[in-house]
Amino acid sequence: MSDEARSALHGSLSAPPATALARAVRRLEHALLILALLAAALLPLADTLGRPFGLHVPAGADYLQQVVLWLAFLGGLVATREHRHLTLSTAELFGETSRVRRFGRVLAATVSAATTAVLTYAGFGLVFANREEGRVLMGGTPVWALELVMPLALGLMALRFAWAASRGAVGRAIALAAIPAVFALGLAPDRLVSLAWPMAAVILVALVLGTPVFVAMAALALFFFFRDGLPVTAVTAEVYRLISSPTLPAIPLLTACGYVLAESQASLRLLRFFRSLLGWMPGGLAVIVIAVCALFTTFTGGSGITVIAIGGLVLPMLRQDGYPEGFALGLVTAAGSLGLLFPPSLPVILYSVVAGTREHNVPADHLFLAGLLPGMLMIVMVAAYAVCKGQTLRIPRQSFIPSEVVTATWTAKWELAIPVFVVGLFLSGTASMVETAAAALVFAIFVECFVTRDLHVFRTLPAALVKASVLAGAVLMLLSAAMGVTSYIVDAQIPDALVGWVKSHIESRVVFLLALNGLLIVVGCLVDIFSAIVVLAPLVVPMAAAFGVHPVHLGVIFLANLELGYLTPPVGLNLYLAASRFDKPLTTVVRTVLPFLLILAVAVLLITYLPAMSVGVLEAFGRS
Amino acid sequence: MTDPRPVPSLSTRSRVAVLCVLLAALAVWAAAPFARAQAPVIIRMATLVPDGSSWHLILKEAADRWKQASGGRVAVRLFPGGVAGDDPDVVRKMRLGTLNAGVLTSVGVAEIDKSVYAMGIPLMYDSYDEVYWVHEKMRPKLEASLEAKGFVVLNWVDGGWVHFFAKKPVAVPDDLRALKLFSWAGDAEAVEVWRSAGFNPVPLPSTELATALQTGLVEALGSPPQVAVISQFFNHARNMTALRWQLLQGATIMSKGAWQKLPADVRPQLLEISREAGARLQKEIRDAESRDVEAMKKRGLVVVPVSAAQRAQWETLTESLYPRIRGKIVPPEAFDEAMRYRDEYRKGRGAAPSR
Repeated sequence: MSDEARSALHGSLSAPPATALARAVRRLEHALLILALLAAALLPLADTLGRPFGLHVPAGADYLQQVVLWLAFLGGLVATREHRHLTLSTAELFGETSRVRRFGRVLAATVSAATTAVLTYAGFGLVFANREEGRVLMGGTPVWALELVMPLALGLMALRFAWAASRGAVGRAIALAAIPAVFALGLAPDRLVSLAWPMAAVILVALVLGTPVFVAMAALALFFFFRDGLPVTAVTAEVYRLISSPTLPAIPLLTACGYVLAESQASLRLLRFFRSLLGWMPGGLAVIVIAVCALFTTFTGGSGITVIAIGGLVLPMLRQDGYPEGFALGLVTAAGSLGLLFPPSLPVILYSVVAGTREHNVPADHLFLAGLLPGMLMIVMVAAYAVCKGQTLRIPRQSFIPSEVVTATWTAKWELAIPVFVVGLFLSGTASMVETAAAALVFAIFVECFVTRDLHVFRTLPAALVKASVLAGAVLMLLSAAMGVTSYIVDAQIPDALVGWVKSHIESRVVFLLALNGLLIVVGCLVDIFSAIVVLAPLVVPMAAAFGVHPVHLGVIFLANLELGYLTPPVGLNLYLAASRFDKPLTTVVRTVLPFLLILAVAVLLITYLPAMSVGVLEAFGRS
Repeated sequence: MTDPRPVPSLSTRSRVAVLCVLLAALAVWAAAPFARAQAPVIIRMATLVPDGSSWHLILKEAADRWKQASGGRVAVRLFPGGVAGDDPDVVRKMRLGTLNAGVLTSVGVAEIDKSVYAMGIPLMYDSYDEVYWVHEKMRPKLEASLEAKGFVVLNWVDGGWVHFFAKKPVAVPDDLRALKLFSWAGDAEAVEVWRSAGFNPVPLPSTELATALQTGLVEALGSPPQVAVISQFFNHARNMTALRWQLLQGATIMSKGAWQKLPADVRPQLLEISREAGARLQKEIRDAESRDVEAMKKRGLVVVPVSAAQRAQWETLTESLYPRIRGKIVPPEAFDEAMRYRDEYRKGRGAAPSR
């Protein structure tokens, strides 16, 4: 990310452009983004409200899918304009006017433009395939027509990347020329295959010099699929699969909810509340952050939403309380992965569905029960670290004043109501995941605009919603590109190869468990948790049975290990989300997370070698 | 308040570290496919069948036999457990050419031709014999239509009868009307049909079904017994209605482009192997059906009996739904054809449905 685009935590958008046309385009983009976000919130909410009366939006899920597709790609497009895509940003090491810096910018832009151009082509391929399917939404709109937003936005992104190559015409011309050049290479597959390593090297250098991470991942995925003789549409098909998955709208909705809260004075009120309640403890606020994050992750299903929604809220509080930036950043990033083992966490349920066979049954409620102590252990260990940190840093402590607790609670009652409201909606079976997220956003907007009046409906809210959508777009682009890479890994059957190696080299159970830990951490580094569960669980279950590992214990080990995967480079989801949300270089985030990663690794080892902690609880409840 | 520690030097070092990791990851990705030399035709086949299940083993064995029969000129790469996506994703990828074949349920086949839903019309058929008699009659036309759209059918295998599983006993339609009924979020037409008959469908992604049953957002669902066992839905919906609601049809489909890439001389043999594997798979699924119900009973499943009078209520319901199903879900010609053949079958057998 370039310097001029680097901005504070809640950075403002770039200044409006000079020409009238560019201003009009900008206004149109923003209006569409706000409309898409509001539609994404109101569609599911209408279903929740109408359900008791037997009312619902016809084909609501289909429309929501399209709305989120628009939100993702328009958000990605505006993120390109605003330079909001996540980069590895080493370019700042060189002076603003240095030759390396200028060369780097042109190269990064060239690779970005070429890659997004190929993605555009692949996007059109996907739309044409869906046109064959001929699905028509209720109301008569053909689905493929709405999906055109995907290639069109990608095409505009390619042009925007080329435009950003330099201030002069030469750099822009070079970047633009890359677009026909890459298609020309595509016509000579054999030539391209022989260029495999140089191509990969160029992508990597561009990544270091400022090409967005999503572009680099997409480029690698496109390139490797192409090399294997498969259509590059493999990548866009995977992008489409992710963006159109029915639970996905929860991510932009909760992102926006967090943003609305962050733009208001909510963090101040909550801070006062937490202080009054736990300020007397050393590291009190850090402990509260851990507890709140764990609670939140529990019902956001470990999709990384916690970092965005809660992290954005608590990071300024931690800083205000005097915690150093490194610790605060590491804490909110790491805390966002806790709580994954508690009900009704989605990965646990997914594991139970995938790992259960006729011979080895792994019911979700058993997994939740067995995961209680291990989950608590991870939280307590991280909290203990926070307490020590609070002690050594001499963070000011407060005396406990009951009357202040009452006042602070009353002041923060609306914000405090949000988690209660959300958990209540979900656990009572009133609303689905996406509906809950939508309700949370609408509730937050209502409270901040009409109750506390921190935000003005017309003056400040629209800008907050645009920024939230831009961030959501950038995150969705990143997740999509990661899905592209994952699908290549799956296609090349790399996980199978890893498992095969483990199977042929290991005899003892202790070594097996250790190898399992290692394997899961490596896989967690490369693949997101859901794909890892889907791909690996069914393969590991029979092996573990052969070594006499209790299937439920295995499940807990499996999930606890993958919890670390959120924090491990290069594809740890929370790292990217934190880097993107807090506008920090990825490498800084990696460094700040390290101590937490070590603590959690110790916890994982304890969970692995003390089965009593998980299976013991199960037996105590007579459920094994 | 800023961090007092000097940051730049550290972060440069860690940047290098991240790059090393990235390079290593890249090497893994790049090295993997190099092993393949003179490559055979690779058929990428995806399915929702769980990895390591007995069904998966049958598919794997068929894949091996394809390799043998073709003398190594054809290799099948199986992607089980839905790793390549849900049925509609698999069909989309077959159109794009990134997958070549799929073992699909009717949901996937219907992405190509909705006529396949004629085999799944609720309460239209009483027995496997009946539904397959109709199926055989309709098969040539259906397969020709699929082929015209670029897909070849290798075999037909169904997933058994869909039964209702519910939190409270469901014996008549009104019992079900009182419950929140799971409905697949991607199927807006089916939701409308249910609603029009006074039911309370809750459209949800199937991934959320297990949670929704736990929280009570959903109180009933239709599912074949095997799926209820594998996915453990029955833990939260312990009443199974003894009513064969509809057949979950399925098929193994290959894109025509991929089929034509196979060496022409072995194609008939490969098709034969697929047919055999399909038959074995079908037998395995049939055997599992009753076994699974027994297993669930032992773990607390209650089978709710449906008397003749109660069954009549269900039939009245479906009769009233048929005009909406015909056209909205099943193409009218296919619906009428199925109905005609079914009546023909019943007449031929001389009357009352045998079960």
